[in-house]
Amino acid sequence: MLDKRLLSELDGLTIGLVLLLSLLGVVMIYSAAHVQGGGYYLRQLTWIGVSLAALFLVLLVDYKVLLGLAFPFYVLVVAVLAALMVFARLVAGTKSWVTMGGFRAQPSEIAKVALILVLARLFAEHRGAHVRWPRLITALILTAAPVMLIVLQPDLGTALTFLPILLGALILAGLRRRTIIVSLVLAAAVAAGGWNFVLKDYQKKRLTTLMHPTADTRGAGYQILQSKIAIGSGGFFGKGFLRGSQSQLRFLPARHTDFVLSVVGEEFGFVGIAVVLGLYVLFLTRLFLVAGTARDRAGVYLVFMVALLLAFQFFINVLMIIGLFPVTGVPLPLLSYGGSSLVSTYLAVGLVLNIRMRRFANV
Amino acid sequence: MRERIYEDLTLILRRARVVFIVCAALAGLLLFYYWKVQILDHEKYWTLAEANRTRVRVLTAPRGLIRDREGGILADNTAGFRVSLDRENAANPAASVNALSRLLELDPAVLKDRLAATGELGAFQPVVVKDNLTLEEVSRLESRRLELPEVIVEAEPKRSYPGHRFAAHVLGYLQIMTPEDLQSPLGKRHRPNDMAGKTGIERQYDGLLTGTDGTLYEVVDSLGRTRGEISRREPVQGQDLWLALDSELQRKAEELLGDREGAIVVLDARTGELLTLASFPTYDPNGFISRFTPQEWVNLTADPTFPLENRTIRGLYSPGSIFKMVMALGGLDAGAIGPGTTFYCAGSTTIYGNPFGCWNAAGHGAMNLSDAIKNSCNIYFYQVGRRLGIDQIAAYAQLAGLGQKTGIDIPGEKEGLVPTSEWKLRTAKVPWFPGETISVAIGQGPLLVTPLQIARVTALVARRGVPVTPRLVREEGPLPTPDRVAVPASVFERVVEGMWRSVNDGGTGKAAAVEGFNICGKTGSTQVMSREHAEQLARQGKEVKTHSWFSGFGPRDNPRVVVTVLVEYGGGGGAMAAVLARDLFELYARKYAR
Repeated sequence: MLDKRLLSELDGLTIGLVLLLSLLGVVMIYSAAHVQGGGYYLRQLTWIGVSLAALFLVLLVDYKVLLGLAFPFYVLVVAVLAALMVFARLVAGTKSWVTMGGFRAQPSEIAKVALILVLARLFAEHRGAHVRWPRLITALILTAAPVMLIVLQPDLGTALTFLPILLGALILAGLRRRTIIVSLVLAAAVAAGGWNFVLKDYQKKRLTTLMHPTADTRGAGYQILQSKIAIGSGGFFGKGFLRGSQSQLRFLPARHTDFVLSVVGEEFGFVGIAVVLGLYVLFLTRLFLVAGTARDRAGVYLVFMVALLLAFQFFINVLMIIGLFPVTGVPLPLLSYGGSSLVSTYLAVGLVLNIRMRRFANV
Repeated sequence: MRERIYEDLTLILRRARVVFIVCAALAGLLLFYYWKVQILDHEKYWTLAEANRTRVRVLTAPRGLIRDREGGILADNTAGFRVSLDRENAANPAASVNALSRLLELDPAVLKDRLAATGELGAFQPVVVKDNLTLEEVSRLESRRLELPEVIVEAEPKRSYPGHRFAAHVLGYLQIMTPEDLQSPLGKRHRPNDMAGKTGIERQYDGLLTGTDGTLYEVVDSLGRTRGEISRREPVQGQDLWLALDSELQRKAEELLGDREGAIVVLDARTGELLTLASFPTYDPNGFISRFTPQEWVNLTADPTFPLENRTIRGLYSPGSIFKMVMALGGLDAGAIGPGTTFYCAGSTTIYGNPFGCWNAAGHGAMNLSDAIKNSCNIYFYQVGRRLGIDQIAAYAQLAGLGQKTGIDIPGEKEGLVPTSEWKLRTAKVPWFPGETISVAIGQGPLLVTPLQIARVTALVARRGVPVTPRLVREEGPLPTPDRVAVPASVFERVVEGMWRSVNDGGTGKAAAVEGFNICGKTGSTQVMSREHAEQLARQGKEVKTHSWFSGFGPRDNPRVVVTVLVEYGGGGGAMAAVLARDLFELYARKYAR
């Protein structure tokens, strides 16, 4: 399936950037978690290996074939999510984990890839300048099914990351002004309903805390404040590797997961943040450029949705750790500790590389 | 651009490009915001991070030791454990208070009061919850260390008085700073929750005895656990103080008083140094360190015998016949009497139409000054008083140091009272009656003195007119020589002669005599109630106990020591106070004079 010519089209720069960011993540995870043991950085290294394997596995199959399997895959994943609601044990207050032996995975991460594939398939035949109601409603339902299940787990942060996937598809498909207004009204209604009936108290608190982070330094505002202190105290060059007091003395919460970039900010300062941001922008630029080379509509959709998903998670995380967005539990893709997130990100990148590799029509 | 074969994708690619530009712009804006937080606001967050990771602990400096004149330790320091609450570190201060009160079996209300008492001054200082923890309490708290990171258990030096009640009034006691104390000069040296000197030497020399507290900056983690030291300034112990106090004499004096309320002063006649300052009843100053229970405190303060009061400087008594020393030197100096002036004592006399009796109802017969001092004859001194008049008597009393502070180096001294005609008019709005002068002439009436004042009068006589300032702390180098009072030494010599005869020639003070030490002294027995009441009780056959005084010095020439004894309700001066004084003279003579 993979001949020499295809292999020569493999995008070394993207893989390089992905690996660079991942390894930087391992270094920061070491700094953040070495005092408490548990070997998180080693586990993350293992996950990088697993993810790379998954990435190459995706490259083996032409994305057209994958798109053909999109719908059954999607149904399977949604079924697993539904099963979780019934069978899963509560872990850290949510039912988002599948446990098999000593191995845990979050199916919601894989669901993102499934949604990207199924939406790309849906819009592959859409040629007009604006999307029409039947397709729009189909897209909404396809997105809503996993999102509702994930909100019920409850894992608001992960559910939120499905939004850019849908949004990416709709931006490309084109929405009439009328449709946008109707959607906004509907969204407002859903938001109001969600605040009153769906959101749990701790989630509401996270939102209100954003407005007044210093009012409750010991409670919900604590995390934001400690993260801002870590980042701000880093200064220009940072305090040095393993020398950040906020990280090493555990004032910083979730140091190796959601707040891993705060460790970068504290120990490597503004320079460190600028490097990570620069690498990320380079990486996203590369993804958007790949979109321009796709040979068909489905490919453009696919690449764009992946790019927007990663950009969205990146921005949410970078805004969150500095107090510009509520603490939602959105990790920084590639850098934060977490196997499922890493695998799904590598899978998504694999799809993009797949499209770039097979951009020539006469292959 | 490569030509597309199947589809025209320009529209969706244009849309994608717009989104990309928006994302890139957002990234730029974000970087700018990180610049603001990390570079422009750096100092603010740096300070917050430092405050997070550091905890300042005060290392209490031990107080200086207080020693007696031979170096024996009267006030020491021992190691104690105390627990404090760092409210800044407490997630829920109310829960911390409850946990502490449960672990230490303290009343939560008392605990809350203590926290409230520190006020805003101490909001960021750990508040001492309890000190002198038992080892059991320490281990109970240590086992909850992880749950209660805001609770700090630390070793600290604590004051201890190895002699317990010994010389308690001299040493004084420490008490926790009150909010009022913090506003006073004491507040400059001490922090809230500190123990500061309240009375006695501890108060007077608090500035010297208080050391300089050290500080420890330590690294703590988010759970409040210590992770290391940043810097440490060691505490500096306060200065040691050497008292003039002779523990042997002091102990003897306290033994002699036994359970009798009273006061004893032993003073070095050459320097004014106080060898003994004993007052009974007394208290154990260690009780203040371990913090009294409310009941103990009530018992101590409500005790009708006032154990906290230092009677040597705060007890006000009529001097009785002791005052005849002043009358004698006044009478001679003013020319009211001469050395040979004689009055006849028939046991009683009538002055200004009122009858006045002598203590010896049988009468002493013809008396000159020396005889009158020896026998403590009232009739003689009635006549001296009549001739001097109240205002001259007052002038000589003041010259002898009565009615004013002695200048001893512990606080709280009382001035006593020397009545004058002006005083009577000012306070009672009526003129002085000449008859009142007769009472004052034998040390009764409104006249009030402290035992230390009497010791000082005795020293003045012993030194033939050169006053001394009593001192507890030994002074380095030569003492300033005070100016002698404006009374010739020959006058004092006459008084000394009478006092010598009182002890050595079968006078009222004969019980004080010590073989070979040539003591001079004067007794006094003061009526504690009005004369009418006393006579009424006497008629009913009830025993009327007077306060018993003796004050004297020895040896007669080149005097070295003054002993003043007051025993409340001790009876006659010659029968009680003089007997106690004798033992002290004897001990002094044995220890120093041979």
